[in-house]
Amino acid sequence: MNFVRDVWPHLEKADCKGCHNNDGVASTTRLQFPEAEATAEERELFGDSLRRFVDTADPAKSMLVLKPTNKIGHAGGRRIQPGSEAETALVNWVKQLNATKPLARHEERKTHAAHEKPVLRRLTHSQYDNTVRDLLGDISRPSRNFPPEDFIDGFKNQFEGQSISPLLAESYGEAASRLASTAKLPKSPNFAESFGKRAFRRPLTALEKTRYQALFAKGGPEAVVEAMLQSPAFLYRPETALKAENKPYVRASRLSYLLWDTMPDETLIAAAEKGELNTPEGFEKQARRMLADPKAALALDEFVSQWMRFDRVVTMVKDRRFYPNFTREMAVAMTEETRRFVADLVWGNRNFLEFFTSGDTFINGDLATLYNMKAPSDDFSRVSYPAESGRGGIISHATFLALTSKPSETSPTARGLFVREQFLCQNVPQPPPGVNTNLPPQNEEKPMTNRERLQMHLTNPSCATCHNLIDPIGLGLEKFDGVGAWREQLTMRIANFDRRREQRTVSVPIDNRGWVAGIQGSEFQTPSELGAALAKTPQCQECLVKQYFRYAMGRRETPADRPVIARVLADFRGSQFRFQELMIAVVKWTEFGVHADRN
Amino acid sequence: MRAPLSRRTLLKGLSFAGSRALLPLPPLAAMFNAAGTAYAAENAKRETRFVLWFNGNGIVEKYWIPNETGRDYTMTPCLAPLASFRDQMHVVTGLDNPAARMPGPGNDHHRSMSALMTGTQFTGRGAGGPSIDQAVAAKIGGETRFRSLQIGVSQESFGESVQRNMSWANYDRPLPPEMLPHKLFDRLFGQREIGWVNRKRSVIDAIREDAKALQGNLGTEDQKRLTEHLDSIRDVERSIASMPPQYYKVDEPEYDGDMKDWPRIAKLQSDLLAHAFATRQTRVASYMLTKCQGLTRFPWLGLTAARHHDYTHRDGKAPGMDTLDGQRIMRDICKWHVEEFAYLLGKLRSIPEGDGTLLDRTALLFVHEHAEANDHKNNGLSVILAGFHGNLATGLHTRTTGTVADLYLTVADDVMGAGIGKFPTAERKLSDLVRRQATPETV
Repeated sequence: MNFVRDVWPHLEKADCKGCHNNDGVASTTRLQFPEAEATAEERELFGDSLRRFVDTADPAKSMLVLKPTNKIGHAGGRRIQPGSEAETALVNWVKQLNATKPLARHEERKTHAAHEKPVLRRLTHSQYDNTVRDLLGDISRPSRNFPPEDFIDGFKNQFEGQSISPLLAESYGEAASRLASTAKLPKSPNFAESFGKRAFRRPLTALEKTRYQALFAKGGPEAVVEAMLQSPAFLYRPETALKAENKPYVRASRLSYLLWDTMPDETLIAAAEKGELNTPEGFEKQARRMLADPKAALALDEFVSQWMRFDRVVTMVKDRRFYPNFTREMAVAMTEETRRFVADLVWGNRNFLEFFTSGDTFINGDLATLYNMKAPSDDFSRVSYPAESGRGGIISHATFLALTSKPSETSPTARGLFVREQFLCQNVPQPPPGVNTNLPPQNEEKPMTNRERLQMHLTNPSCATCHNLIDPIGLGLEKFDGVGAWREQLTMRIANFDRRREQRTVSVPIDNRGWVAGIQGSEFQTPSELGAALAKTPQCQECLVKQYFRYAMGRRETPADRPVIARVLADFRGSQFRFQELMIAVVKWTEFGVHADRN
Repeated sequence: MRAPLSRRTLLKGLSFAGSRALLPLPPLAAMFNAAGTAYAAENAKRETRFVLWFNGNGIVEKYWIPNETGRDYTMTPCLAPLASFRDQMHVVTGLDNPAARMPGPGNDHHRSMSALMTGTQFTGRGAGGPSIDQAVAAKIGGETRFRSLQIGVSQESFGESVQRNMSWANYDRPLPPEMLPHKLFDRLFGQREIGWVNRKRSVIDAIREDAKALQGNLGTEDQKRLTEHLDSIRDVERSIASMPPQYYKVDEPEYDGDMKDWPRIAKLQSDLLAHAFATRQTRVASYMLTKCQGLTRFPWLGLTAARHHDYTHRDGKAPGMDTLDGQRIMRDICKWHVEEFAYLLGKLRSIPEGDGTLLDRTALLFVHEHAEANDHKNNGLSVILAGFHGNLATGLHTRTTGTVADLYLTVADDVMGAGIGKFPTAERKLSDLVRRQATPETV
């Protein structure tokens, strides 16, 4: 019997690896499928490694058969029907594993250097604005006139979204010509060279000097600026040096665009030129200097605003008959709360796991009303939640609670998904095509809680496999309404919206027991309890690393990045989860590689 | 080189005059060039044009799809704004969108959108290939100032690439729409002087040299991206190399005013698109009225409680409820979409060209990512086909099978004669349904 030929296709069909992969919802289990690009040999090794799930004493009781058939509890439900050909194949494979010795090559599980990594990164819109601010003193934020950036994989700065369309090229052209005409530019003969070094963040090549001096002669400094601001040498920065002599400059730009979201300053360039960035120590020293600069706080805000999707928070719509106090200003205040909260953890050098557990927050009058707390004397100054409020950490922020709700009701599913995706870095498979994703509507005679309505997900087997991983998380937060206020009961409006004048409201008690499937002992009833469960979960801690890594690198991590991720996580943990140490570790280990530190 | 245009010259009658009262367009005034001869007479060859029009989320079928097929169908509430275009359009229903159902990443909207625009599967980030407007532009966009235009109106969206963009240059390569009228105006009719053009050219030369120098050192993936950047620069160069003909006196839209007043923005954008066609600056456009899975608000319809996508799923068809309200809301929303489409048709019909109007030589397709919005239904799509006098069978509602790509291919090749040859998921042409004449006129 051959695993690749006889067993693998059945597992493919059952889509085990949809969850059992490094980014899947079953990433906490012992079973991890090889990468999509895995060779037949690696699959064979994987097949052999499944002997871990074989009960040698009683093969019939092997997890390898009992789990996918759901004969013993499987969070993913019944993926393989008892009595099917697939089950027979698994049973036979168990027998074969039991009768053979493990392959010798076992532990050498290769990781694939996934497809070639691009090195060019386009300045994000915010980096463009900050760069022209530092380069030309222009504070007009020209990117307001650019086509907006799209979110890909949770962030706006991912490689895949960074093509330059004709519209963007035109926008760059317009901005460049405006910036060139409004800036005060010296007419000095070496303008091209000196400005070029700052714009390109490295000395010009001989050819570039000739080219731009000619342009200077023809059109003066304005033409030089206009051209340079549209040059690929300005708009892109290489992630790794294309030429050896540029290496220190490339490192300087990596540091400054990640930690400051803008171009390097003179000190950093000087450090590059003195060779200080060539060693991990010198590199780190500069990084630490930069973190102490106010620009670092703005750069971090950019990361937080994308990770927590502030863009969606400030454009939320809430049904004003349900949430009469909700206003646009309140939405902005929500993001400000989260922004200050994170900034305090990061720049106050606190344990970043308090992101999930902290009993403190930063609110203004609007939010104090929303949270039923006393307003602080100064807007957005530090306050502590009353102990009985159940609040604690990001899960209790209105940002999270409102963002994951619909206009007139909560969405336990959306809350669960957000936790899985943003805080555990687990991809939840999408509903299969064509499935009706509407919940049963409210019924006047027999109003239902969301828990009851979501039962549909759990009774329909094709929904249940994923939804029992998602919904229970959100159901535990049901005592927080669609804008983040506490409620003891679920009050429903029984009527359709917008047209009908008469409204009838019905209140039903809320059962707020929740849990995170896959995390032992995660049963919770309040945000602070959920936060505490998350904070101590290794997946969650690793996810903080992954999120910053993705933002820092402009791409998802690949299997080849695992050693770096592990090393960064070790540093982060070793520092008692100081986020600044995470930032330093990401930038350092991605630059120098973990092998540098192996012995 | 033609003389520079003044941005502030006035064309009475354009509706983007802000607070100014609307005045009727002087008869044919716009159609004369500086010499006083009709513009269309300058060039005997008449151009074909293509518009792909999109709004997000889908429709409510019972208020949208006519009950009867054939010539004597009754206009439904959603289609009512098109009553006066009955003889210039063809409602085609029942089209499939098979690539939307291929297993893969993304929600129903992502998958349907990629499939609808490109006939290919959603990649997890964007669409899997060039969209139909780009396939057409590749054939007929070569000689105009802009190979194609992407125009948008409502910006309210979840923000992901496949939701915000309808035109795709290639795999994962969106072509974002211009959503601000004054910026679109500037691209089309902005002031350009000879000195500006010359400087722009030398600037572009320098950029291109920089790009070439960089390209040699890159891996294939980066090279590809840089090549695309260079293509974009070439497009910019083309647009500055040829000025808009001195034919129109187009008023610049005002910067102020409510920039979320989508009906107003939609009309400004439609005006500008019609002028772009009339001045022969482009032959291909995509028009994204609202976003895929869009979150547009509709205060002018009295709908303030929720957003477009929320409404599509608000118990619209739920049993045991007052199901009608949700559907009526969607009916009003869909009707607004059609109204704005009708406005563009009207604009095109109001501009004479040769012995007909712009509409006569423009093929327009109106699509949505879903059929019945509430169900995320991705087969049985309903499409409005309009314009193209002579080649297009009009005045009809046809219920058919086949794919939406079949229709694209038929329109592109058998109606317009663009010669794209093939398109993903197009398997057979629907020529018998949509074509009036046996042979298309040459392009």
